[in-house]
Amino acid sequence: MLARIRWGGVPGFVIRRVLLGLIVLIMVSIVVFAATQALPGDPARAILGRSATPQSLAALRLKLHLNQPVFTQYWTWLTGLLRGNLGTSLAAQEPVTTLLRPKLVNSSVLVAVSAILSIPLSIAIGSWAALKREKIFDTLSSNLLLVLAAIPEFVVAVVLVLLLATTVSHVLPAISNIPPGSGPWNYPSALVLPVLTLVIVVAPYVARIVRASMIEVLESDYIEMARLKGLPERTVMIRHALPNALGPVFQVIALNLAYLAGGIVVVEFVFAYAGIGSALRDAVLNHDLPVVQALAMLIAALYVALNLLADVATIMVTPRLRTRL
Amino acid sequence: MADISRRQLIGGAAGLAAVGGLAAACGGSSGGTGTGTGGGGGGGGTPKRGGNFRLGVTGGGSKDIMDGQNIITKPDQARLMTAFETLLLFDDNYKLTTDGLAESVTADNPKQYTIKLKPGIEFQNGKTLTADDVLYSFQRIGTKGNGLTGYAATATMDIAGMKKLDKYTVRLPLKTPDATVPQTLASYTFNMVPAGYKAYPAPQIGTGAYKLKSFTPGQQSVHVRNPNYWRSPQPYFDQVTIIDFNDATAQVNGLLGSQIDAMTDLPSSQVKVLAGRGMHPLVSETGGWLPLCMAIDLPPFDDVRVRQAMRLIVDRPQMIQQVLSGYGKQGNDLYGRFDPGYDSSLPQRHQDISEAKSLLKAAGHQNLSVDLHTTNGASGMVELATVFKNQAQAAGVTINLHNDPNYYGTQYLKLAFSVDFWGTRSYLNQVQQGSLPNSPYNETHWPPKSGTGSNFISLYNQALATTDDAKRVEIEHEMQKLEYDIGGYIIPFFGDLIDGYSDQVKGLKPSKGTLNLDSFGHGFRTIWFG
Repeated sequence: MLARIRWGGVPGFVIRRVLLGLIVLIMVSIVVFAATQALPGDPARAILGRSATPQSLAALRLKLHLNQPVFTQYWTWLTGLLRGNLGTSLAAQEPVTTLLRPKLVNSSVLVAVSAILSIPLSIAIGSWAALKREKIFDTLSSNLLLVLAAIPEFVVAVVLVLLLATTVSHVLPAISNIPPGSGPWNYPSALVLPVLTLVIVVAPYVARIVRASMIEVLESDYIEMARLKGLPERTVMIRHALPNALGPVFQVIALNLAYLAGGIVVVEFVFAYAGIGSALRDAVLNHDLPVVQALAMLIAALYVALNLLADVATIMVTPRLRTRL
Repeated sequence: MADISRRQLIGGAAGLAAVGGLAAACGGSSGGTGTGTGGGGGGGGTPKRGGNFRLGVTGGGSKDIMDGQNIITKPDQARLMTAFETLLLFDDNYKLTTDGLAESVTADNPKQYTIKLKPGIEFQNGKTLTADDVLYSFQRIGTKGNGLTGYAATATMDIAGMKKLDKYTVRLPLKTPDATVPQTLASYTFNMVPAGYKAYPAPQIGTGAYKLKSFTPGQQSVHVRNPNYWRSPQPYFDQVTIIDFNDATAQVNGLLGSQIDAMTDLPSSQVKVLAGRGMHPLVSETGGWLPLCMAIDLPPFDDVRVRQAMRLIVDRPQMIQQVLSGYGKQGNDLYGRFDPGYDSSLPQRHQDISEAKSLLKAAGHQNLSVDLHTTNGASGMVELATVFKNQAQAAGVTINLHNDPNYYGTQYLKLAFSVDFWGTRSYLNQVQQGSLPNSPYNETHWPPKSGTGSNFISLYNQALATTDDAKRVEIEHEMQKLEYDIGGYIIPFFGDLIDGYSDQVKGLKPSKGTLNLDSFGHGFRTIWFG
């Protein structure tokens, strides 16, 4: 079976990229481990805080294997990682997977809903603006998107809270408190403001790239040819222009999705949303190394996976690249 | 809760015979404590039953715990108050009362107390609170390996020698005389737990007003009404939900957007915002303080003239304006302001730059440059250090500010110059916590090992052994004079505690205690939805 997969072609490309991705992740794991080791302070002291005694410190260090050589600690951690065992949270004293799973679900829902809304929206806005180039819609949307792209996410969040939750009107909850044990889908109103914030933060970038890419494609010879042949504008756009314009757009979408995974830290903070963002903040404050390491690896893996997906998608819509493999 | 005369009586006593003597006067008060607004209601009419009280608390995280006798984070304090209670109780004026689980706490002699429980108080599982539970509770706190907050206060207690006299009576012998035992018994980490009790995830059974329903550290805990609560008809809410917040902005937004009903630690800048929106800031004068701590045995502060100069550099009114937005009272480098033994006759220290300069010059430190360590711990710790840095410039002193997130992890108690935080305590209790060689948190390395001030420890022991109030206050004044003249603390102010609550919440009023929101509505039992 394996022998039949050629190193060339799309399957071979995917396999090579996956292997490369794994190598990247192992390198990332070294960096993450080294960085968390280099953090100043002693985790045992950070956990016990003001009430630390020499005895309790020694006992905790032993329990956390902090007295083992660094390489042994790394090896224990890496092998655990490969077996899906992310260790035990130092602060909460429970497995990292148990601790992070519900938060990961909450954050994934937030990112997924934001992506599902923002990607088609930004493609639509960008394409329409390109089609109506230099007309009113294009001018208005381009300027508005430029302004929105320049506003940091916490400002967007605070303005939305003022407008919709506290000062101007009270139509939506100001904080998104998802009680433990239930999912965000049970509290759709709590999702609206965080999702809206992320959409406003991400959509402008994607829309602007779509517009630029689309304009380039619309000026190309084959589009002119299609129009000269008398094809309806709809067909020209959807069958000929859009697939060609989407190549660079996939890359931007991937980068923005990866950004979403990190950018939700701020959004989760403002809305007191229990996701990996707040978990990361808590873990850094508590010097909770296993949780910090797990989240850093998770975000790195997401970057690698999204880039891989974007590359594959780009190749699928670009026959020219496909044949070169 | 208590009539005025009783409060005054106990307040004057602050300890020994009086607490015992009072017991007779107020025995059997347990039945009538909850009616009307007597439970602490600051208006709002007759208490009503029902509702889910949602409290937003900052300062928590995955380190959150639930233990009837221990806290790590601020939401832990609130959680502890839902289900557990102390033998004696401080009222809103920080005066001791017998409104707690004990009918009386009597000093038989300077080295022995007798604790008599109110009969018939039941735990949340229906078991009656008896002497055995009291013995277990003391043993649990007094076991060093348990690492509980109250352990340091058991140093004078002979816990192994405690005896059950009858079902409701316990004898507590002391190793050395200690007049502060009644205050200790009213501290919120000295709660009574049932025999065999263990921390969460074991079942949390106390005598308190709410039973634990669920708890997720770093997120929230849910507590349901205890229908058999001994102070019937309290409590009033069907449910209390304690929600962790990362920061005050989200808390304020949640309060304004009605996702929570009350919040702890309202930033002073938000007081007017809240008041303008039909919400209520709750400003409580407290005995809490943020000191600048000079270690008296480390250079340059081993020279008393440098310590005096530093104390004269501080412009206290300006500090209150800049650090607390005006919400605080001037400090005089002394703690324990609500203690009857607090010496308010010592002259208030004012800024005196020229005197500070000449002191520094005499000490050979004209162009002094020192490191000052602080952290984003209790609110105001960083601001205090920053304002001090600016004020010190006038005296030619350069302060190198270090804001270290791992401050409490690594260097705490070893630094020459640092910022810390303390809550309300009576004077001698505070000395025991922070100003003796064996104190858990002695930042200033007080008292001096030799020379002036080295008699501080013997004065302390003398004070503990003195049952005559007037005489003890005299000794306490002598101790405070030493700290005022040559101590290592700069105590610029006592900060107000500011919380916020919605218009719907009734029964909250300012309190002088350590805990937020009127000791969280006295364990969420004297507040209700109007």
